[in-house]
Amino acid sequence: MVIRGTGEGTRRNMRRIALLLIVFFIFSFLPLSMASAQVQVRLRAIHASDAGSGVDPSLRDLHKELGSLFSFTSYRLMREETLNLSLNQPASISSREGRIILETTLVGLHRGVAEVKIRVVREGSEILNTQVRLFPGRTVLVGGPRHTRGGVVIYALHANF
Amino acid sequence: MRQMKDSCSSISKLLEKYFDQEVTDKERLLVEGHLQDCPACRDALTSMEEVRTLIKIPIEKAAQKEDFPWVWQKIEREIRSQEKRAWWQSLRSWLDLSPLLKKKVWIPAVATVVVLLFITAQVIFKKTPSYSETSVVEYVESETNNVMVYDLEKAKVTVIWLFEEPEKEPAAI
Repeated sequence: MVIRGTGEGTRRNMRRIALLLIVFFIFSFLPLSMASAQVQVRLRAIHASDAGSGVDPSLRDLHKELGSLFSFTSYRLMREETLNLSLNQPASISSREGRIILETTLVGLHRGVAEVKIRVVREGSEILNTQVRLFPGRTVLVGGPRHTRGGVVIYALHANF
Repeated sequence: MRQMKDSCSSISKLLEKYFDQEVTDKERLLVEGHLQDCPACRDALTSMEEVRTLIKIPIEKAAQKEDFPWVWQKIEREIRSQEKRAWWQSLRSWLDLSPLLKKKVWIPAVATVVVLLFITAQVIFKKTPSYSETSVVEYVESETNNVMVYDLEKAKVTVIWLFEEPEKEPAAI
């Protein structure tokens, strides 16, 4: 008497192997897909000047740092954006008058560190070019460009992981 | 006698069917009627029974020794599939790879997994530079102005300050 495996049994086994390989592929390439994920960067444009006094209520979290670092009397939030930065995809915000443009590009994303290239452009000319590493809980302030109504513009960048 | 021989030749065709119990009622009566009068056909039938006995005994002995594991596995699987099972039981049964382990199909499967592990390990365990919390600014440059970098470690704030000259007022004429 000869017992042979049926075609159905072989097919079932092949399906099992295929499913296990698919699961393995998914778990193997999950870190890769995560690595290519976006990073959220909270970006605030602040107008710092000596005209008037006080700190915008929405800048409460930066109040202490602004006060200890700079000697301006007034800090006003001009614009706030949450940018979803993808690798090598520039995203920019411009001041209301459009004279100053801040361009951010995510150039690297490692465990808990986002490498962001920042360019400040005034009327088409690059005035600052830098690359920073954004860690969780760390804020990077890029300031100094003149504001048309006096004072300066300060950009506050904070990455959300 | 000739009539008997003719009858024998026609009955012998039915005799095997009769032996296998595959004849109709009419044929069975015909064969049994003939066997009463024909010792030769009775002998032929006896021979068939003896042959069957000779074959049957060793087969039964061999069958008793052999437990046909695959047959039983298939039967048990079929019985189990008839029963209504909980989803987790079905899942466990589905993931039961024991039949696979008895075959050589795992060789290419394991080889594939090893190759994939090797490839993915290169990516996952790729040596990443160790970042220090203090090295926030990788580089900074400005062709037009001076730049200062200042770290406020306690507050976790890094300042990049561009010293831009105030806009010159147009000269009064």
